[in-house]
Amino acid sequence: MVSSFLHPLNIFIVGLGGGFLIPLLSRLGKRWVAIAFILSIAAMTLISGFSFLILLQGGPPIDILTGGSTPPYSINLRLGLAEAVFAFGVNLVALFGSAYFVREKYGTMVLYLLVVMGIQGMVMTRDLFNLFVFLEIVSIATYGLLSLQETPAALSATFKYLMATILASTFFLIGTVLLYGATGVLNIDDLIAKSGLIVGPIGFTGLMFLLACLLLELKPFPANGWGLDVYETAHSGVAALISGGVSAGVFFALIKVLPLFKPQLDLIAALGATTFVFSNLLGLQQTKARRLLGYSSIGQMGLLTLAAALLEQSSADEAAFLVIAGLFVNHLFAKVGLFWLAGYLGKERLQDWSALVGPPAAIFVFGILLAALCGFPPFPGFWAKWQLVMNLAASQRYIWIVIVLFGSLLEAAYLFRWFGQILQSSGKTDRLSRSSVALLPIFAMALLLATSGCVAAFLMGLTLWTSIPLIAGLILYLLDRVSGRTKCFGVLALTLVGGIWLIRDLTGISYLFAVLFLGGGLVVSIGCLYRSDKRPGFYPFLAVMLLSLSTLPRATTSLEFFFIWELITLSSYFLILRTREVELHALRYLLFSLFAAFFLLVGFAILHALVGSNSLTALRLPNLNSVPVFVLLAIGLLIKAGAIGVHVWLPGAYAEADDDVSAILSAIISKVPVYGLVVGTYFAIRSEVNLNLAHVLGWIGMLTTLVGAVLAIREDDVKRMLAYSSMSQIGYIIAAVALMSHLGWVTALYLTANHLMVKGILFLVVAALIAQTGKRLLVDLGGLGRSMPLTFVSATIAIVAMSGLPPLTGFGGKWLLLSAMMEKGWYGPAIMTVLATFVGLLYMVRFINVIFLGTRKPAHKRPTEASIALLIPQYLLIAGILLMSFFPKALIDPISEAIDPQFASTLVWQGMSLEMIYGYWNPVPVMAFAVAVSVALFGIFWLLRRTDWFEQLGGRPTPVRLYDSYKPALIIFTPPWATAFWGELATATVTIAERTRRIYSGNGQAYNLYIMYYFTVLYVISGLLLIWGHYPPR
Amino acid sequence: MTSNVVLTTGLALILIGMWGLLTHRNILRIIIAFSLMGTGTHIMTVAIGYVTNGTAPIIDRALNLSEAPVRAVDPIPSALVVTAIVIGLAVTAVMLAYAIRLYQSKKTLSIDAFTESKW
Repeated sequence: MVSSFLHPLNIFIVGLGGGFLIPLLSRLGKRWVAIAFILSIAAMTLISGFSFLILLQGGPPIDILTGGSTPPYSINLRLGLAEAVFAFGVNLVALFGSAYFVREKYGTMVLYLLVVMGIQGMVMTRDLFNLFVFLEIVSIATYGLLSLQETPAALSATFKYLMATILASTFFLIGTVLLYGATGVLNIDDLIAKSGLIVGPIGFTGLMFLLACLLLELKPFPANGWGLDVYETAHSGVAALISGGVSAGVFFALIKVLPLFKPQLDLIAALGATTFVFSNLLGLQQTKARRLLGYSSIGQMGLLTLAAALLEQSSADEAAFLVIAGLFVNHLFAKVGLFWLAGYLGKERLQDWSALVGPPAAIFVFGILLAALCGFPPFPGFWAKWQLVMNLAASQRYIWIVIVLFGSLLEAAYLFRWFGQILQSSGKTDRLSRSSVALLPIFAMALLLATSGCVAAFLMGLTLWTSIPLIAGLILYLLDRVSGRTKCFGVLALTLVGGIWLIRDLTGISYLFAVLFLGGGLVVSIGCLYRSDKRPGFYPFLAVMLLSLSTLPRATTSLEFFFIWELITLSSYFLILRTREVELHALRYLLFSLFAAFFLLVGFAILHALVGSNSLTALRLPNLNSVPVFVLLAIGLLIKAGAIGVHVWLPGAYAEADDDVSAILSAIISKVPVYGLVVGTYFAIRSEVNLNLAHVLGWIGMLTTLVGAVLAIREDDVKRMLAYSSMSQIGYIIAAVALMSHLGWVTALYLTANHLMVKGILFLVVAALIAQTGKRLLVDLGGLGRSMPLTFVSATIAIVAMSGLPPLTGFGGKWLLLSAMMEKGWYGPAIMTVLATFVGLLYMVRFINVIFLGTRKPAHKRPTEASIALLIPQYLLIAGILLMSFFPKALIDPISEAIDPQFASTLVWQGMSLEMIYGYWNPVPVMAFAVAVSVALFGIFWLLRRTDWFEQLGGRPTPVRLYDSYKPALIIFTPPWATAFWGELATATVTIAERTRRIYSGNGQAYNLYIMYYFTVLYVISGLLLIWGHYPPR
Repeated sequence: MTSNVVLTTGLALILIGMWGLLTHRNILRIIIAFSLMGTGTHIMTVAIGYVTNGTAPIIDRALNLSEAPVRAVDPIPSALVVTAIVIGLAVTAVMLAYAIRLYQSKKTLSIDAFTESKW
């Protein structure tokens, strides 16, 4: 009984019946019409949802035979799982979207109903001519809906749309008829079965017309100006329906007939790729919101086409389903939500969307929609892209991977630039007066995205603990209204509890890093307490990021690793993007992080293709071909670490972020790629890959160090100086890792811990300076040692620990590094280490000298000691430094143990035992002597200060000027090649985009011509491919 | 077995229609071109189903079941074309309606005048 009511055929009965009923009900009153309208769509949603559930539980596909006979004597429709996903998805969206139409005239509602029904017909029908009829129902109803917007621009756009789609559907009809002439059947399944009969010019031409129609309806580049115009000018609810619904119907039709186009699959994929890349490229130059969404929609359809065509070749059904359904659902919910948002705001220029910052949670939802579109976790697009790349790598189609990732990067570029612009210009536009009730359907889309993402995660077999960061973020988000400090305590408590639970059963290197991430993250984050403001939207991301950090070492599969990696990327991006000035830098940070992530992704994909498993331990398997894997992983990690050449994102992001965020970024997040490098090289040596590349890595590390140090001296901005200093210090760690010896790793871990503590302190010191003086240029600072003694002391300790002066940790680190380099015979890098240490000393001395010594600058208000919230983490970190300095075994032993057990059995290195290496460095006498000297020096220094000896030297250049004298030399040594290169690349990309988009002249007739060209090119190339296939060249 | 004369006529009409919609700037003429193209398609459809010297596809005393596939005109294209004509009518009507609206908005029917959205 229930199932007969909910039989899929009733979708059409409800759709058509509702269409007839609504005009009758309009006589009774508007209310009745609206009720019938909503009920009809709800009924369709219910029916498709019910069928979806049944099919999900493994039910057989539901076949609908009309007229009581079987095909070819009847038209049949089918609702399988794939069909159900599409139908249910479109119905859900239509149901929520109907809220924007209930106030319209009844005719509009009828048309809306017809479109929704027609789309499902396109999805379900198995008959080619029936498909044509449904396509026309959808098209004609869409033409009607488009007349809702009566501006001249909308009318023009609609007419262009009309011409283009009528051309396309004429193509469809011609194709159908010709195919019928060639085979005598119209049923798609029969047609596929009889595809051997489709030979000769008539059959081939029929196929091409059919293909051209379906591709054209998906608005391929360059024959898509008409589509863009409609997206730009139409009623946003209609645009959403076209982008999400109509495209879905056409796309599904394409999937259905794809088996007919076996010889053309590569061509179809190439056309999809062209559309994907060019749409996203041209999107870069777009300034109008809805046109931008149009570009993105078209691009996503290109991606879907590409994926469908390529997966059809490899015929991996399960995977293909996940990819297609994931990409489709992702685009559907995200894009529809964005179009509705456009309608809600009614703003055309991108920056005017800053009105979103007003209504509660609107900006959050906007972020979710964008993140989903860009394929960030946990949304379905992430899983789909992952699976797609895995599949492509398995069949060694790397060029397609590059295309997909390149297009995705472009898309992320303009979407997140938009997000940044909004935050940047917030407050400049007037607040919205509309109620937030109209936002509810958009919230629903965000929720649906999250839900479907979770389903996808479940299907991909992701373990439950990976969701802990997100859950914590959600809790904090719900608490967003309470005071800032309470939230900060909440984050700390959640991180402590969750983190300890997460790392409780880890061992080895993973455990060490987990402890570093968790402990360091917690301590540095205490610094966030110094701000008393609410910081809306800050703490949720802080929670996500801190817990993701603790989760990362738990990852045992590449998918888990990549998932958490992307979570860290995304959450840290939002943490950086807090001020207006930081917009550009945050975008750079995000793009370079994504760039890095894509290298990792491809590396993991190749690994997966090699060993057929996601497990990270597969990296250990002895395998000759794993060199590309390691190289790709290393490149990705180096980009993320900010190595030389790809460091351009680093100074801006570190310097312009909020002061406490800078501390977290530099101290903690910069260690994430280090973790990857350590684990990666560790696995590399275990798999006995002969990596001569280690030497290259070592040089990269040392160059990064040296250049970073030189750049740091040049800086007059304290935060930028520390940022470059970070880069420089990370260089040491990279070099240590590159040694790929036991001592190297011990050194790397030691340096990592050291840098974490040192840079945590220094950035918190700077946070205090800025909080007290409001200045961050060295020229504006001076003589603060007396008014901020505690900060002075901690800064001094940190600088000494970083510089490599005895007695503190840096000395041990340098000692270890030099020993390890000598052990390996790396004399070049060793010399560079010494040189870099010297250069490093210069800027570190300058830091202390200028800020804390010297004369007080008049500009200062009356600085007092830093807030306790900043001092506590500093002194906790100092405690750590002292512990490490005087009880180095306390750190080195666990490190060594972590590395040893797996190691000792497999590798003999020069017959040297651990004790002998530690024997090199007996710290107690050295340290004792060093402490004595330091104390003596400090005493002298103190005495000199007391006697005003420094001031008597007066007249000498101020410290700032002093450094100015050798700036020219430094500039010569560090030509801005990297900045120039990336800058030129960006300019070139934008220029190409600007020139290319001139093809969209706005003239409908030109667009018709493009369509003809498109068809001709498709026809000719397909013909050539066919001839090629029959007579392959020798 | 198809009728070549009719088929050629249909194809010629389609090509004339395509040529017309690319060369004429007046929106009404473009709509006529679309109609020509549609008509060409319809004629082609009928031609595909036509059997030379065939009879109506009604199985009775004059045409028994075994003869039907060779002697009768294929009824399916005829059925298709009826649907296609109806759809074509609706589409033409919509185009004309838009032509009126476009004329009202700018007092011209030149397609070159309607280029508000670009790039």
